[in-house]
Amino acid sequence: MTDSALATNPAQAAAASAVAPKLTVRDLHFYYNGFHALKGIAMDIPEKKVTAIIGPSGCGKSTLLRIFNRIYAIYPKLEAKGEITLDGENILDPRYSMNRLRSKVGMVFQKPVPFPMTIFENVAYGIRHHEKLSKADMSDRVEKALRSAALWDEVKDKLKNNALGLSGGQQQRLCIARAIALKPEVLLLDEPTSALDPIATSRIEQLVEELKSEFTIVIVTHNMQQAARVSDLTAFMYMGELIEFDVTEKIFTKPGKKQTEDYITGRFG
Amino acid sequence: MSASQAAVSAIDLEQRSKRDARAERLFRWLLKGCALLVLASLLGAAGATLWGGREAFSTFGWHFLVSTAWDPGNDVYGALVPVYGTVMTSLIALVIAVPISFGIALYLSEVAPAWLRTPVASAIELLAGIPSIIYGMWGLFIFAPFFADHIKPWLTSNLGNKPDDGKLSWIAQHVPFIGKLFGSDYPFGASILVAGIVLAIMIIPFISSVMREVFQTVPTRLKESAYALGSSTWEVSWDIVLPYTRSAVIGGVFLGLGRALGETMAVTFVLGNAMTLSASLLDPGTSIASTIANQFSEASGLQKSSLMALAFLLFVVTFIVLLIARLMLRRLASKEGR
Repeated sequence: MTDSALATNPAQAAAASAVAPKLTVRDLHFYYNGFHALKGIAMDIPEKKVTAIIGPSGCGKSTLLRIFNRIYAIYPKLEAKGEITLDGENILDPRYSMNRLRSKVGMVFQKPVPFPMTIFENVAYGIRHHEKLSKADMSDRVEKALRSAALWDEVKDKLKNNALGLSGGQQQRLCIARAIALKPEVLLLDEPTSALDPIATSRIEQLVEELKSEFTIVIVTHNMQQAARVSDLTAFMYMGELIEFDVTEKIFTKPGKKQTEDYITGRFG
Repeated sequence: MSASQAAVSAIDLEQRSKRDARAERLFRWLLKGCALLVLASLLGAAGATLWGGREAFSTFGWHFLVSTAWDPGNDVYGALVPVYGTVMTSLIALVIAVPISFGIALYLSEVAPAWLRTPVASAIELLAGIPSIIYGMWGLFIFAPFFADHIKPWLTSNLGNKPDDGKLSWIAQHVPFIGKLFGSDYPFGASILVAGIVLAIMIIPFISSVMREVFQTVPTRLKESAYALGSSTWEVSWDIVLPYTRSAVIGGVFLGLGRALGETMAVTFVLGNAMTLSASLLDPGTSIASTIANQFSEASGLQKSSLMALAFLLFVVTFIVLLIARLMLRRLASKEGR
């Protein structure tokens, strides 16, 4: 990333860079049963970069992530107001098809959650919702996804085994394979390594590094070192507000706000 | 702390661990006894009915299983009609009850607003508590006449091979067996189909409350991941929730089936109690339980023994059903790659 091109104004940081924003968030508010959880978030998430969202528990970072693919909409009494555009189209518009949105925006959750199916089926399952492929094409597609998720070599001989037999780290990479098999444009990672051991964690981080050439990645993490290691930009959130959003290096070395500095130096959180 | 005090507490500990070991042994034996009681009553009941039916089995041999005769005048008995009635009514009940229960359970666990879930769930449990004789009375006095007046004529004229106006419908002409299943000259409502429907209503609460409970055990994050891949509620239910809870769901279904197979009162009321084998679901029939209930008080000698033999067959049928359930689960598991 051309750091010098980035403006210091956080909301415009990405917009001012050479990279066009993939997702733009404007005046986003979110309510849980009336509780005001996000208060006017505005940010531009650049294409094919890794954007990390950090902040203490309950700051709304996962909530924000869960709006990007409208997964919150499966529950009643949750409401998002404002605008999020993906390639210029407002995804919060009810007319934006859920199926289309979820084929463009993939998500990986905190704990690895393979479906109760074979390894192959776990990856093929999502593809079937969006495309009709021949058997050979499907195998190719599944293989490609597993290769991209750096899992192929470990599972190629046991594709017909139940996915629950894999280790935690493998399961999480399977979930990543499952998400990227749909060829999404944006990949949302919600604390993807919080349930994994350090070795599995570093494999996932390495994978994130590789995947950013193809996908726009937004990662929510509790782990500040992780944010520093994998992300190009970092957003710091606190109490439902976006405090600061800038190039990762700057956030961790010369944060512009006192609250950000307090958080990254461990004074609260 | 003085040395003597330490010694006292050490002795106490020793005694305590001895006492614990004794209590533990006793507890284990008690538990084992409780479990063995189940086995003993099962074997006892099966053995008693087999012993009671030995005269029938030795007189008729395997013909007892395939004969449709049930003639107390000539003392000739066969089990085919009641066994067929039992299996058929239960099968109909399952075919109707399983999809409806699935729908109820899915609605309550995935779709219904929170304030509606608990009252409907309690209503289902109340339904399960209604005594079977009430279902039987309702079936006899209300449902069977209604069925005879309104549903049966439509079924015979559209699906049956003996329509009132003499014209066979397209379905009856082109789909094999269907004409036979729905053709009937019998003017009343009581029939295998009506018994099956009443049984279905009786077992829906059982199956749906089991299903609802196990559907609630599916981790939210599993459902969310499927939604995140673009699955619809239906796809999440069918592809994720159902496979995840499969063994418990099948368990619930077979709990319902077990109840349907052995149900006596309600079936006796609406089955027509005819000892004839008919292919038509609209003709009356009989079941093992209702044959026993109807005849036991006046039976003696070979007839009584034949009724005992029937009771034993009910055991066998139930056992076979459970066996099929086990095999089904095993095959499904191997398909999943476990």
